[in-house]
Amino acid sequence: MSQHLSAEEISNWMIGGRTPHVEQHVRDCPQCQAEVVRLDETLAHFRGSVRSLTVPPAKWEPARPQPLRWVLAVAALLILAAVPIYRNLADRQQARADTILLEQVDAALSRTVPAPMETLAKLVSWEPEKGENK
Amino acid sequence: MEPSAIADLPATEIDDFDAVVELHWPRIFRFTLASVRDRDAAQTLTQDCFVRAYRGRERFRGDCGIQTWLMQIAVNLVRDFARNRRLQFWRQAPAVDPDNASEWIPDRSLSPEAKALIQERLAAVWSATASLSERQRTVFLLRFVEDMALAEIAAATGMKEGTVKGHLFRAVQAVRERIGRLE
Repeated sequence: MSQHLSAEEISNWMIGGRTPHVEQHVRDCPQCQAEVVRLDETLAHFRGSVRSLTVPPAKWEPARPQPLRWVLAVAALLILAAVPIYRNLADRQQARADTILLEQVDAALSRTVPAPMETLAKLVSWEPEKGENK
Repeated sequence: MEPSAIADLPATEIDDFDAVVELHWPRIFRFTLASVRDRDAAQTLTQDCFVRAYRGRERFRGDCGIQTWLMQIAVNLVRDFARNRRLQFWRQAPAVDPDNASEWIPDRSLSPEAKALIQERLAAVWSATASLSERQRTVFLLRFVEDMALAEIAAATGMKEGTVKGHLFRAVQAVRERIGRLE
């Protein structure tokens, strides 16, 4: 055995680059064979140590549709949508009440006599009749 | 059933998503844990991986195995996490101590000397993987922990097979050098 495998050849062997020449050398050279076996074993132990860290699956909860959540979401949307409608309705009622009040105030201000005297005022005409002397 | 045995299940298998989770969760979790070395973060990334897969299951057409598809999502999540963590300089040390992980021994009947030697080498590999670039670490873990073929790794990482091989070669070189220092 004239020459041992280089570091690159051994690394290449470890990742699957196994040429007939290298395979032959590993078979025939006890030193290189021991090096390859030692590396193989160490990597196998590493695999074992990583696999020993594994834990059982956590409680798996994918984002599945939840009926209650949908009901709550729809209810919230309906409430939100109803607020402007209610506010609009209330505004209209307020506007109507304001109009009635203003009409009443206007009527009160445009009276020539107080309300209790209105019936009497209708009986007496303040305007001179046609043909009557001034 | 071992996850590797179901790697090429037809696309219809994804309809039973609870079974997919149960089968693949350990594999995805250990990949994210070995990558980010933070148990809580790994748990979150694994959860995110399955949530994304669940949301995108309609688009899964079985071009690759479910395992490769899930690993593809996990690799992207780990990459994003690593990028974000670089900015979080205030972050504390990883929650998974490589020394603890290297306390694992394959056989309790081994002599104390043999156990010590294995643990020393394991610590060296853990330490070496921590110093690898994110891409080198990813392909190293997928190859030597998950036993994935180069073509599968290429599909999961979106790299060309030759690029995967290059990263893997450099990762193995780094690990060998670290182990070699022990001699």
